[in-house]
Amino acid sequence: MKSMAALLQLLFVSVFMLLGCSDSKPTPQATSGTGTGPAGSAAPQPAPAALKELNLFGWSEYVPQEVIDGFTKETGIKVNYETYASNEEMLSKLLAGSTKYDLIQPSEYVIEALVKQGKLEQLDHTKIPNLKNIAPDMKGLAHDPELKYGVPWMAGAAGIIVNTDKVKDEIKGFKDVFQDKYKGRIVALNDSRELVSWAMATHGLDANVVTAEVLEKVKPTLAAWIKLVKTFDSDSPKTPLLGGDVDLGVIWNGEAALLLKEDKKWKFIIPAEGAHMYIDSLAIPKGAPNKVGAQMFMDYALRPAVSKIISEKFPYTNPNAEARKLLTPEQLNNPASYPDLKGMKTFRDIGKMASDIDKLVTDLKAAN
Amino acid sequence: MTPNTGQVPEFQGAQRRRPGLRGWLLFSPLLLWLVAFVVAPTCIMFVYSFCQRDELGQVVFEFSLSNYGRVFDATYLKILWNSVLYAGITTAICLVVGYPVAYFIGRASEGVRNKLLMMVMVPFWTSFLIRTYAWMTILKSEGPLNGLLQYAHVIAAPLDILYTPTAVVIGLVYSYLPFMILPIYGSVEKLDNALIEAAFDLGARPVSAFSHVIIPLTRPGILAGVLLVFIPAIGMFAITDLMGGARVPMIGNVIQNQFGQARDWPFGAALGMTLLLLFAALFALTVRKDEDAAA
Amino acid sequence: MKLVNLLLASWSTLVFAFLYLPIVLLIVYSFNASKLSVVWEGLTLKWYGQLWRELVAHMGDERRSTLIESLNNSLIIAGFTTALSVALGTAGAWLLYRYRFPALRSLTTLIFIPMIIPEIIMGISLLIFFKTVDFELGFATVIVSHVTFCFPFVLIAVQARLAGLDPSLEEAAMDLGATPLKAFFLVMVPYLLPAIISGALMSFTLSMDELIVTYFTRGPKSETLPIKVFGMAKVGLNPLLNTISTVFIVLTAMLVVLAESLKGSGRRAADPR
Repeated sequence: MKSMAALLQLLFVSVFMLLGCSDSKPTPQATSGTGTGPAGSAAPQPAPAALKELNLFGWSEYVPQEVIDGFTKETGIKVNYETYASNEEMLSKLLAGSTKYDLIQPSEYVIEALVKQGKLEQLDHTKIPNLKNIAPDMKGLAHDPELKYGVPWMAGAAGIIVNTDKVKDEIKGFKDVFQDKYKGRIVALNDSRELVSWAMATHGLDANVVTAEVLEKVKPTLAAWIKLVKTFDSDSPKTPLLGGDVDLGVIWNGEAALLLKEDKKWKFIIPAEGAHMYIDSLAIPKGAPNKVGAQMFMDYALRPAVSKIISEKFPYTNPNAEARKLLTPEQLNNPASYPDLKGMKTFRDIGKMASDIDKLVTDLKAAN
Repeated sequence: MTPNTGQVPEFQGAQRRRPGLRGWLLFSPLLLWLVAFVVAPTCIMFVYSFCQRDELGQVVFEFSLSNYGRVFDATYLKILWNSVLYAGITTAICLVVGYPVAYFIGRASEGVRNKLLMMVMVPFWTSFLIRTYAWMTILKSEGPLNGLLQYAHVIAAPLDILYTPTAVVIGLVYSYLPFMILPIYGSVEKLDNALIEAAFDLGARPVSAFSHVIIPLTRPGILAGVLLVFIPAIGMFAITDLMGGARVPMIGNVIQNQFGQARDWPFGAALGMTLLLLFAALFALTVRKDEDAAA
Repeated sequence: MKLVNLLLASWSTLVFAFLYLPIVLLIVYSFNASKLSVVWEGLTLKWYGQLWRELVAHMGDERRSTLIESLNNSLIIAGFTTALSVALGTAGAWLLYRYRFPALRSLTTLIFIPMIIPEIIMGISLLIFFKTVDFELGFATVIVSHVTFCFPFVLIAVQARLAGLDPSLEEAAMDLGATPLKAFFLVMVPYLLPAIISGALMSFTLSMDELIVTYFTRGPKSETLPIKVFGMAKVGLNPLLNTISTVFIVLTAMLVVLAESLKGSGRRAADPR
């Protein structure tokens, strides 16, 4: 019996030693490294190895399965793709939650807010060499000028969509859309901040300077507009457009691009009064368990061939200049996919004013 | 809580004793579950409702009553009333529409009964979103409903149903109908055959048989159905968003927004707590009334 | 009496037609050639083909289909939720009927809380609770959350059935030599069965369809069908969803018919009539 136990003990110890030996092999710093054992294992290493699993917390329908599978195939890292449908949903779960996410996909103003609160990891650019592929006009943006925290994923703007079969007038801006003659035929995003920013644009105001006075000023405009809208929809505004319930509206450019791809009757117009641009990026929350793997994924997604796949499935504005070279002229000429974003500002974080904006829109909606 | 039909004599002695040790033991799983997963989370929210918020909308532990002050704003009261109204209308329609069906199923023969029950539930095992989008497809301007009505020359131009309150009510009734039918079925199924036949045979018109005998006997089921429809319907917001075009905010939307775009968790918690308190009060009132009636 | 039955039957038929209207649409659109399910473009079987291929690939472990995986997850979660909810709900209803003590009313109010509380509040507070006790998010947390708001439905349904029940039924059983446990299982449960089944059906349905609370209490690997569907709503609901729903419904219908024919002419012992 004793000899049996001793033998077993010997067996266990030798197995552990063998395992320990394989762990201590340092992982290559290059981006194409394969994930090996758990971070911080046996022997001292120059840098931690990537874990076998990556928790990606991203927008639903924003990361093609092909990209995920390709990454897993190459690196052996399993990607758990958990999804959300809005920035705030993501924030709620991230900040309240017990899951450790490695990657998130916040919009620009959210990155700003998270950075202010110290909730994002700084990126090591040496691990993400493909960052050079990002177009120059997508860098230097207010929320993250040196791309210290986020890797741009997709960009775009909210703009005007018109069914030219039904609407014969020329539509150039918000004022043309929100007219009494189109009452009940308009779709708008169900996003109070967007709505207010459009109203502010028609008053020539800066969308990022939100005060109580400003809100008072745009209130009548908003009140009038809200009465004209048939449906507010941020998730799938193309549905009422296709269904014939509305003829024009203000929606995300990506949604518009899908419509423009199918039929020539759809027109996408950047409002004359002014529009703002948005950009979604990959970022790493503080305390992410698999920072190494996360940066590997970022670099992988920045490859032109991979980025091309994303563009094919989700025709937003691709910030990757090298990937754009691989797109077809048809894709690049889609005015909704590649609107003129030059000179457009992004949303800044407005902190607590978000609550006041929401109250204003709720009040106006309830007043009907 | 158990409503007394009034027709059956009150039982003494055997019923309603205080639980002994074994009784408490049997209660313990339920109690533990409640404490862990209902009481604790509710307490967390309760604490939050007195807190302040930071830039991201999260809680900062500084005591304040300001959130509750904001709850009693005219807009929110109006929205709450709207929600109660919609829930009430939905419950009433579900009751009228669902009762005959529940009765029919309950009185059917054994094999048929179970099949019918399943048939009631099966549509709801498809995803809520898919069902709702299907309804939206049916009701839209260029959808089959309008198409059919126009083809049959019943209407000239398409009806404006989708993205109106009518569509919202249709959506609500559709979603909650099974939760009215099933509890009533439970009550109907145990009705004594002899009693039913007697009610109909004794010369009364069928309407009287129903109103004087059957409906009172199925009162527990009706009450249960009303509860299971009215209460969840008040918090419902997805249907107003989808089928109502997100035009008329419900209290559910408002609360949802606080954890969303408005970034004000403490206020959301305060709204939620207020809703809870409202119900606790209403509930206490109805139970008291019921017990007084039984006494 | 005959007229009454006829009226009831016709009314019920109308209501069933109402209940199945979107289902019919679903089935029809599963043959829709267009990718955007709101536009009709002609008949096709290609989605069924695609579903079959995805299923085969998934079973053969070639390519994980997230859609099928989420369906599996939903079914597993709903199964466990229903079992637990029935146990808790039935036991709870029976105990509330049996015993009387001062805190009874507050207890009943507590049971109602998960039904009243808006799902987002429940979701977030449960999430924070789990985080506080350091419970890792995953299947267990989702099942726990689902049971918490499903069992009141079972409880209320069973309570309605218990109302006005003669407690001497159970007493009689015990007098005749049965232990309290036997009395419960051999007398109470058969009597309560229709309500239990009602409650189980409601519970299963609620769990299958639960979105918000699940969103907050799930782990990265426990995606459920509603969450998957909700995500797909952006690009326009994948036609595969119509296909899956149709297959699901047809399969369920077949299962029911099969179950009935296996049971024979279907009878249950101790029918109180």
